[in-house]
Amino acid sequence: MDLSKFKFTKTHEWITLDSNNSAKIGITDHAQKELGDIVFIELPSVGTVVSQGKQFGTIESTKAASELYSPASGEVTEVNNLVSANPQLVNKNPYCEGWMIKIKIKNVKELDSLSSSEI
Amino acid sequence: MAYISNTEKQKKEMLAVLGLSTVDSLFASIPASIRLKKPLNIKGSLSEPELIRELEQIASKNNSIDKINSFLGAGCYEHFVPSAVRYITSRTEFYTAYTPYQPEASQGTLQAIYEYQTYICLLTGMDITCASLYDGASSCAEAVLMAHRVNGRNKIFIASNLHPEYKRVIYTYSCGFDLDIKEIPCNAEFLLNLDFISRNLDEHTSSILIQNPNFFGGLEEVEKITQIAHQKGALVINSVYPMSLGILKTPGEMDVDIVVGDGQSLGNGMNFGGPSFGFLACKKEFARKMPGRIVGRTVDKDNKEGFVLTLQAREQHIRREKATSNICSNQSLNALAACVYFASVGPIGFKKISQACCDNAHYLYEKLSSIKDLVFPLRGIFFNEFLIKLPMDAKELLAELEKHKIIGGLNVTKFFPEINHAILVSCTELKTQAQIEDYSDKMSKIFRKEKINTKI
Amino acid sequence: MSNLIFEKGNFGREGVSVPAAAKPKKDIYSSIPDTFLAKKNYDFPYLSELDVIRHYVNLSRLNFSIDTNFYPLGSCTMKYNPKINEELSSMKGFVNLHPYQDQEDIQGALYIIHDLEKMLCEITGMNRFSFQPSAGAHGELTGMLMIRAYHCAKNNKKTKVIVPDSSHGTNPASAAMCGYEIVQIKSNENGLVDISELKKNIDKETAAVMLTNPNTLGLFEEEIKEIADISHAKGALLYYDGANLNALLGITNPALMGFDVMHINLHKTFATPHGGGGPGSGPVGVTKELIEFLPVPLVDKKDNQFYFNYDFPRSIGKVKAFYGNFLVLVKAYIYILSVGGLGLKEISENAVLNANYLKENLKKYFDLPYDKICMHETVFSAARQKQENDISALDIAKRLIDYGIHPPTVYFPLIVKEALMIEPTETESKETLDNFIEVMKKIYAESKTNPQLLKEAPHNTPVRRLNEVKAAMDLDLRWNPQKPFDNHR
Repeated sequence: MDLSKFKFTKTHEWITLDSNNSAKIGITDHAQKELGDIVFIELPSVGTVVSQGKQFGTIESTKAASELYSPASGEVTEVNNLVSANPQLVNKNPYCEGWMIKIKIKNVKELDSLSSSEI
Repeated sequence: MAYISNTEKQKKEMLAVLGLSTVDSLFASIPASIRLKKPLNIKGSLSEPELIRELEQIASKNNSIDKINSFLGAGCYEHFVPSAVRYITSRTEFYTAYTPYQPEASQGTLQAIYEYQTYICLLTGMDITCASLYDGASSCAEAVLMAHRVNGRNKIFIASNLHPEYKRVIYTYSCGFDLDIKEIPCNAEFLLNLDFISRNLDEHTSSILIQNPNFFGGLEEVEKITQIAHQKGALVINSVYPMSLGILKTPGEMDVDIVVGDGQSLGNGMNFGGPSFGFLACKKEFARKMPGRIVGRTVDKDNKEGFVLTLQAREQHIRREKATSNICSNQSLNALAACVYFASVGPIGFKKISQACCDNAHYLYEKLSSIKDLVFPLRGIFFNEFLIKLPMDAKELLAELEKHKIIGGLNVTKFFPEINHAILVSCTELKTQAQIEDYSDKMSKIFRKEKINTKI
Repeated sequence: MSNLIFEKGNFGREGVSVPAAAKPKKDIYSSIPDTFLAKKNYDFPYLSELDVIRHYVNLSRLNFSIDTNFYPLGSCTMKYNPKINEELSSMKGFVNLHPYQDQEDIQGALYIIHDLEKMLCEITGMNRFSFQPSAGAHGELTGMLMIRAYHCAKNNKKTKVIVPDSSHGTNPASAAMCGYEIVQIKSNENGLVDISELKKNIDKETAAVMLTNPNTLGLFEEEIKEIADISHAKGALLYYDGANLNALLGITNPALMGFDVMHINLHKTFATPHGGGGPGSGPVGVTKELIEFLPVPLVDKKDNQFYFNYDFPRSIGKVKAFYGNFLVLVKAYIYILSVGGLGLKEISENAVLNANYLKENLKKYFDLPYDKICMHETVFSAARQKQENDISALDIAKRLIDYGIHPPTVYFPLIVKEALMIEPTETESKETLDNFIEVMKKIYAESKTNPQLLKEAPHNTPVRRLNEVKAAMDLDLRWNPQKPFDNHR
């Protein structure tokens, strides 16, 4: 998996630019390993405004539950319903099929504060 | 005795393995300045015969309800507890086990609690429930906090005719949260003022909490209240008396969001107020916001049915300060008692008992309503408990009845100082015709005498 | 195929006989309007008393319990529950009491509450106790609410509570329910509170520091007096989680250590049964300064009569209706009487001796993160087994079940990887402990020679390892008459 275009937060989320101002968000392989089998994901609805560093959802396994923090600010344009219905997609393929939300980025410069390699 | 198994010889052997000569050296890390200098000043140790003598003597100073004709209710009731219930809850494998963290070693407890959860859902008409909370009062408080978690709103309306101790617990629990709690006033029949509800609930209201039957025994219009609340997007929390659900409509049928209550009447004795258990049942979309443990059904690796604690990721041992509640131990054995109770009496038996509670109370009401000096604000619309307004101080009347070994009811002044001439009277299925008639006869006698002496 | 009670019985089968109404009304519709009444019957099964007894007795036999198995669950104090306590607490004079009966009719009950309070004060050094909380966590919430009330009364601006990273989850959860922000401090390399971390993180906005001593690693916080001084200097109160009190009876007490508020778990230290998860009791004790905030009522004596005293205008209110889990109090009271003051010290001495004996013997096989004298419990790590043979603490726990031993607590405290927390208690004999050591030795060997055996354990139980993922995803939290059981996936 080519992660060169991915950026990472300290809280183990990733973000990658789709096109000009659209980005996909998900969690890292490290995060899904730590969580174990994921059983539930709570994602915001389309149109919700998210902020960098603020919570946008929750993720739950049998032994842990965590907040999901947005790597950037913007508006939710798409939600991956496949992952809501089948949370284990995130375990299987956290960087591809396991994407969670797409947002319209408010300020691309926010991505500069993120890391280029998985933390 | 201290129930210690090891002999002196064994203790010496163990110390030798540790390379120590005295037991006291095990406590070397405790600074001398905080070591106790003298033995604990506590009496004992007593042998079993001495304990029996001592406790029997103490118990004899209690005038237990089986020796009196009592009509006390107000949140704790004298109900039939089948011997099967006592037998099962005294099975040592149930009562000396711990919380079922290792499901393969605890299928007994887990399946029993799953069955308990089912019974509570069937009883209340709700989708899901947890494995029990501490009692009815704290369940109300937890429900209020849960509704706040669900919709993030801060205004709460609670019925002024909710059990006063339940109210107090809600206020205590809500101290640490930014909540604005207001009470809904009552009308002359001690029922909630629907007009007030319509006018005051709005888009900032998190929940409305009502009790049905209410503290004074009256029946609230739950359906109407629920409709009003839902129009404003507020959740409805209904505190119920489980025994009443044998003949009354279930909260689930009335679209209530969260149902709470105390399970004392279900296979648990009065126990001087504890232990009993609290229940909280709700619609399935609130599953992850519910406090307490939950048992779920699943399969093992051979596809055999099995039960586990589930949704633990909401709980304190995982989420810590972000948990849905801090609850750890609950009231598992008392919930088991309720489960065995339902199983023992069955659907027909439960309905029969519920009906008997209602019939007995109405029989008493009929007999008492011939006494012209008494006023009945509920006008006969109640389940098994009703308010009686008196022409004299309740204390006087109750003292008179006590001379005849009758506890006439609760002096309502205890909680409502402004109502000093009223008693709350309740009947259960255990009241016999003789007992009910004894009460009404003595009351008639008292009022025949009183007519001469008391100002009406 | 389901074994649920709801799939048993037969339509129309009679259950236990129930009392009929004194004078049955022919038609209840005349008393209660139709709109309030139920239209349908419940889907409860129709069972005979035999059906019920057989079902639940057989269920009970699927459980491990103290009376059937060695149960070294760390932090839970699974000591033997004496039978005389069960017998005497079920007397009519205790069970058949209504909480609103007149004072004169309940002098026996009030006597027990009053006397038990005196005993707990003597044991802990606290000045007063309230018995209202139903469990340890309930006691923690009560204690933290009182701390909040104390600070409010003094107009102190307090927003934070400090807990060590080894603390039990109920500590931060309870403090959060009081509106406090949680500040978690790292333990030092000895597993104890790091004094410099404490000094760095405590300030004048700290309301309280919540600790347990011995801590969750089973180690005594030797610097407790300094911790107390640092906390009090910043106007923070010290809260004692009494879960580990079994190590200290008659040896020291929380008041001497400098604690201001505490709770006790009667179902741990004072041998009242755990009941499969309650009922317990978590009485809350305080020093003089906090008495006025205790939940009401307290039991006091006047003119030779006991009474419920509600005269505490600054009380936090109530955390439960009525007075607490009274029958649990009676059991604890009987236990203390049967053991006596000297016996209590013997209890702690033997609890600590038993734990150290296990520690010394097991450290040959499993990593001991803190190799020093422990108190009543000890914590091992299966990290080496995980690394060498991919065997986790969970696998070891499941294999213990095959040997008829209830596993110790696993994955707690969070600061030890693959933690195994073992608390034997004083009621267990050397033979039982030696057997446990032998079994752990066997499991250690199995982890090297036959790890698959552990990974697929348990083998000898009514059910094999259960699918917890399915449980959390396909939420099946109750039997549903319309939905058949889906035992696939």
